Amino acid sequence: MSPAGCSHVNAYKVDNWRPNLRVIYQCFVWSGSAETRRRKVLQNDAGWTALAKSCICHMCGAHLNRLHSCLYCVFFGCFTKKHIHDHAKNKRHNLAIDLLYGGIYCFVCQDYIYDKDMEQIAKEEQRKAWKLQGVGEKYSTWEPTKRELDLLRHNPKRRKITTNCTIGLRGLINLGNTCFMNCIVQALTHTPLLRDFFLSDRHKCEMQSNSCLVCEMSQLFQEFYSGHRSPHIPFRLLHLVWTHARHLAGYEQQDAHEFLIAALDVLHRHCKGDTTRDDNGKKANNPNHCNCIIDQIFTGGLQSDVTCQVCHGVSTTIDPFWDISLDLPGSSTPFWPLSPGGDCGLVNGESHLSGATTLTDCLRRFTRPEHLGSSAKIKCGGCHSYQESTKQLTMKKLPIVACFHLKRFEHSAKLRRKITTYVSFPLELDMTPFMASSKESRMNGQYQQTVDVLNNDNKYSLFAVVNHQGTLESGHYTSFIRQHKDQWFKCDDAIITKASIKDVLDSEGYLLFYHKQFLEYE
Amino acid sequence: MSKDSQMRSAINQRLIEMGERERLKELLRAKLVECGWKDQMKAQCKDVIREKGLEHVTVEDLVAEITPKGRALVPDSVKKELLQRIRAFLAQHSTL
Repeated sequence: MSPAGCSHVNAYKVDNWRPNLRVIYQCFVWSGSAETRRRKVLQNDAGWTALAKSCICHMCGAHLNRLHSCLYCVFFGCFTKKHIHDHAKNKRHNLAIDLLYGGIYCFVCQDYIYDKDMEQIAKEEQRKAWKLQGVGEKYSTWEPTKRELDLLRHNPKRRKITTNCTIGLRGLINLGNTCFMNCIVQALTHTPLLRDFFLSDRHKCEMQSNSCLVCEMSQLFQEFYSGHRSPHIPFRLLHLVWTHARHLAGYEQQDAHEFLIAALDVLHRHCKGDTTRDDNGKKANNPNHCNCIIDQIFTGGLQSDVTCQVCHGVSTTIDPFWDISLDLPGSSTPFWPLSPGGDCGLVNGESHLSGATTLTDCLRRFTRPEHLGSSAKIKCGGCHSYQESTKQLTMKKLPIVACFHLKRFEHSAKLRRKITTYVSFPLELDMTPFMASSKESRMNGQYQQTVDVLNNDNKYSLFAVVNHQGTLESGHYTSFIRQHKDQWFKCDDAIITKASIKDVLDSEGYLLFYHKQFLEYE
Repeated sequence: MSKDSQMRSAINQRLIEMGERERLKELLRAKLVECGWKDQMKAQCKDVIREKGLEHVTVEDLVAEITPKGRALVPDSVKKELLQRIRAFLAQHSTL
């Protein structure tokens, strides 16, 4: 059943067959424009002298019944009623095209024939029509290339993913206080988009030496999804991290959050080979507009509005971010009181009954307008002098993966301690109340709460949690990761155990990883 | 051609010219995927292919076996919605 066509199709493929076939696809099968929809055909050089006014059967006038068009002359006939078959027999025109789906039928072979050249034309015309209709690119099923077919044939082993299989789960040996690294690795290997990127071999390495961290990540993904159940020993990864992020080298316990940022930074820098090229084939070398996979997944935009208290002029800046660090109650900076007006808690379904601080509380505090005191006056562009102002942070652009860092480790001048206040966080998070656009609507007096709840762009799902047990001096990191839709596992270095959603939500929480629920094409 | 099929043709012609037929097709496609009908059909096709053998099965075999099942399995809600859309269209372009 290869797309090799048949001898009768090959007999058709002579002279001017390509443009003739294209006309048929354009006018009768995939009609893109209003004109072609009216089915007027004027193609003198192809010898189409008749004006085909509409697609109906020339025998019975019906337009359903799987209408086919003869490839050799202007004749439309029903397939179901065999009108096109009669025509084929009488005129010995043995090829016809199905006007619904564009398939080529050979009356001699008595089946639809797949010819590579014809398929090519059909696909191109379909894409053109979609573009004219304003539909753009549609999803089309994967068709393997010749090389891919060869690879599949030479590697016949197949892995089937069932609902309770443990693919992707693997323990990591602790190489000496490296649990901080192990947790982040677990979170990254279970980030769906990152996993898809690496498993489909999308990294093209341009580094000369063997020290590319992205290549090592690629290897890591291969190890994790290999199906091996024994714990993996990430010594190469550790060595590369020490090489590229010197401040993390050594066998002391490090901060998992610091490791995350350092790892993302090195990966981002090493992704040079994967940046997209513009139309001239030149690489987009602008460091502010990197399009590497790390930026695509993790980079968001944080908007900072500074409002002058005198002239009310607003100065706005937008800075990229990979994570949101949130202050907690009990730290030396005051947490309460928050501004009143809290529908946010209801949006995210968290309960305030127990009096526990919620993630949404922290986010509300993060995005509240802050009065910068008289000792921190800002030069106002409108007033041309130093004035008191308020500053407010909101989300301009949300990343696909949002990482929240609860600032549990206090390193102030007075004390170094860990804040163990329980913060409740939800499985599903709606970021709409914290968006810059929401703030603008509120300021314009539009209360769009209900509409925004229906908007799916800002909805996130929890997929990984990194926890720290112990004190600042000696502690241990573990993580919870989500493998299938509702299957959670606890990763404690080399030991992976099944966990319940309750275990996850009851945990203290240090780093929280959320993934956008709905992704859109650019 | 009977009066009924004449009317059908006329309506169909209008739908095509105003681009409504394509829109209706897209709506139907989306609805049939949403309700799982497409997956059901795929499974049915696989059964037929297994039955007849990959090297011997023809498109005709599939059409003959799948068409009645496919028609029967379209949910009523989808039929209703499409019908509503067509009615609304006709109401708007009442010259027919």
